Amino acid sequence: MNFVIPDVVPAIPEIFMLAMTCIVLLSGLFLQRRYPSLPYMLSLLALVGAVVLTVALYKHTTEITFHNSYIIDHIGSILKVTILGTCFFVFLYCRRYVADRNILNTEFYVLCLFSVLGMMVLVSAYSFISLYLGLEIFSLPLYALIALQRDAARSAEAAMKYFIMGAVASGMLLYGLSMIYGATKSVDIAVVSQVLTSVPASQNLILVFGLVFVVVGVAFKLGGAPFHMWVPDVYEGAPSAVTLFIATAPKIAAFAMAVRLLVDMMPLYQVEWQHMLIVVALVSMAIGNFVAIVQTNLKRMLAYSSIAHMGYMSLGLLSGNAQGYSAASFYIIVYTIMSLGAFGMVTILSGKGFEMETINDYKGLNSRNPWLAFIMLLLMFSMAGVPPIAGFFAKLGVIESLVEAHLVWLAVLALVFAIIGAYYYLRVVKVMYFDAPEHQSRIDTTSMDTRIAISANGLFILVLGIFPGIIFNLCKAAF
Amino acid sequence: MYNWLTDCVFYVAAALLVVSSLLVITSRNPVRSVLFLVLCFFCSSILWMLLEAEFLALVLIFVYVGAVMTLFLFVVMMLHIDLEKLKTNFVRYLPIGALIVLGMIGLMGYIIAPEHFSLLAPAHHGADYSNIKELGTALYTHYVYPFELAAVILIVAIISAISLAHRGPRGRKSQDVPSQLNIQRNDRVRLVDVPAEKKE
Amino acid sequence: MTLTAYLIIGAILFGISLAGIVLNRKNLIVLLMCIELMLLAVNTNFVAFSHFLGDNAGEVFVFFILTVAAAEAAIGLAILMVLYRKRHTINVDDLNTLKG
Repeated sequence: MNFVIPDVVPAIPEIFMLAMTCIVLLSGLFLQRRYPSLPYMLSLLALVGAVVLTVALYKHTTEITFHNSYIIDHIGSILKVTILGTCFFVFLYCRRYVADRNILNTEFYVLCLFSVLGMMVLVSAYSFISLYLGLEIFSLPLYALIALQRDAARSAEAAMKYFIMGAVASGMLLYGLSMIYGATKSVDIAVVSQVLTSVPASQNLILVFGLVFVVVGVAFKLGGAPFHMWVPDVYEGAPSAVTLFIATAPKIAAFAMAVRLLVDMMPLYQVEWQHMLIVVALVSMAIGNFVAIVQTNLKRMLAYSSIAHMGYMSLGLLSGNAQGYSAASFYIIVYTIMSLGAFGMVTILSGKGFEMETINDYKGLNSRNPWLAFIMLLLMFSMAGVPPIAGFFAKLGVIESLVEAHLVWLAVLALVFAIIGAYYYLRVVKVMYFDAPEHQSRIDTTSMDTRIAISANGLFILVLGIFPGIIFNLCKAAF
Repeated sequence: MYNWLTDCVFYVAAALLVVSSLLVITSRNPVRSVLFLVLCFFCSSILWMLLEAEFLALVLIFVYVGAVMTLFLFVVMMLHIDLEKLKTNFVRYLPIGALIVLGMIGLMGYIIAPEHFSLLAPAHHGADYSNIKELGTALYTHYVYPFELAAVILIVAIISAISLAHRGPRGRKSQDVPSQLNIQRNDRVRLVDVPAEKKE
Repeated sequence: MTLTAYLIIGAILFGISLAGIVLNRKNLIVLLMCIELMLLAVNTNFVAFSHFLGDNAGEVFVFFILTVAAAEAAIGLAILMVLYRKRHTINVDDLNTLKG
């Protein structure tokens, strides 16, 4: 038996995260009565610590450890830092929301941290087993988080829907992976991609068959059409704080899964998955943009907008060149920051006993709180793709990569959908600035720290639009 | 002789598996569905035995049937399900469903046909071969990272299930001893300064 | 028995479980059971491949899938309890607060 003890150093961020999560859990159990905000503070500390460790331990080389189960590379580190940073802001935004409602405090933070841990594992997964386990560690807490507001029937229903859809999606993914395992005799992504170069032609059909299921599973987790049914219901039904979490970090994790399974593992089958992703992208952009127009609930509208954005993001992936992959990763990071701001706004404006959910609630926000209205304006413009805000450059990068891949017709269609999509974002802006408010009172539900956080979030989108290179160069170096 | 016997076992178990899985989704009474699912697991475990995955076959019975299915039964019994209401309009959706199943199985059958997958059965292991030892060695060496992750999954399941289903000691008349001991005099006794009435 | 025989069993189970999820409009518990059935189909596939390829990675994977499936069942049933307490029904058609 030749067994070498694996090198645990690259996985220290995950180990730290797990240890801190357990500490948060214990502190909530034993010390919360005396120090009510201790779990919250410790959670923030855990996230900051994990970011520091991830950055400090990254040596600018690709390292594989734990017998081909774990990989740390450039794109993985970028995505991990983004996930952790996103979660940090999520906690800042939803502290008051969680405290005001009947949501178990410690459990909320602990489950979020576990989910983040699962995302980190997923980003670093380099074998089917660790990929599947990471996927489940990140999904299972999400199901529970939605139902955590136990006195709301609506959120229990959303949780049930999400649970069933998610479980079916992972079942599909597993079926596809079993086919790929059968054809290649390995569960390690590195080995599989090597075996695929010399696979006999008779097994081609099986691999494509497995690939279909894998793409379905990935599209489910990304929330792209035609596997998007859960997205609007879950976003609307979940408590805003949980929606904020679900709408941001998991997108990055699902993107990482797509990169590992499609780009890293099956580059030779790029033509096949390109066709599948073209369908996903087109249907997502169409359904997302058209259905969003008729929504009256802001959370539901943003849900459809997220479906459309996942469509744009897959355009980058499917173009199949390094430029496209880096454009897609830039897109997903920018989208996460935008949706963090938009759902964060919904969360911080909702006070005790009332929700700012419908678009009508935002009538005359400008006269009630001009600064927050301005931040929301930035976010909406960015989502619509108005220059010079970050969303514009994200779309531009994706479309450029399509032209590079000789898919000009797709680029033109994407532009048309983007113009249609601009309508409903601008409607929110119009409602905020030109409609008379229904309540005259100034909004005072925000506290100092959330105001600073949301301002930083909105202004970062603007700065990123003026200097997109800050993140774009990082993404470019990754592929 | 040996092959003939295993083939027989395979066909009986497989037929029973398919029939009972059909009954899982068609029977009206959820208790029956659970019991048919248990039968499914038993049949699968026989198939897995034929595939020489002895440990997993046993785990399927002990853990799955013994714990998870029991959990299902408990929940089914706890919820008062109105059976009359559950009489379904199953027939309405049946044609679509049958079409989906047959189409999918046909497609899968074509794809996994022997011309695409032509692996021969490996030689049987000898009597001194231990599947558990093999699996255990792999699990604690090569797959130590996933093994730790599985532990995390179980913690997550425990925390989420408890925080969702546990409703605290509401309704129970239990005593909170620490708070009784920590009580201060000022919490219980309030001194009211009543002005003394003056005698006229 | 050949590998194909086992794979076809897996395919039939997978198809039946998927049909159960699509057809079942009445009972959420049966939906949860269909998910278990789906994972059973996948597991059968993995065990069969593992045996015929002579590689134990598939069996190890099944071990982990079983763990996850148990955890998933626990969480699913907990959500079901919460839902039942609020709505007093586990009828799929009654879940219509969220249009979708």
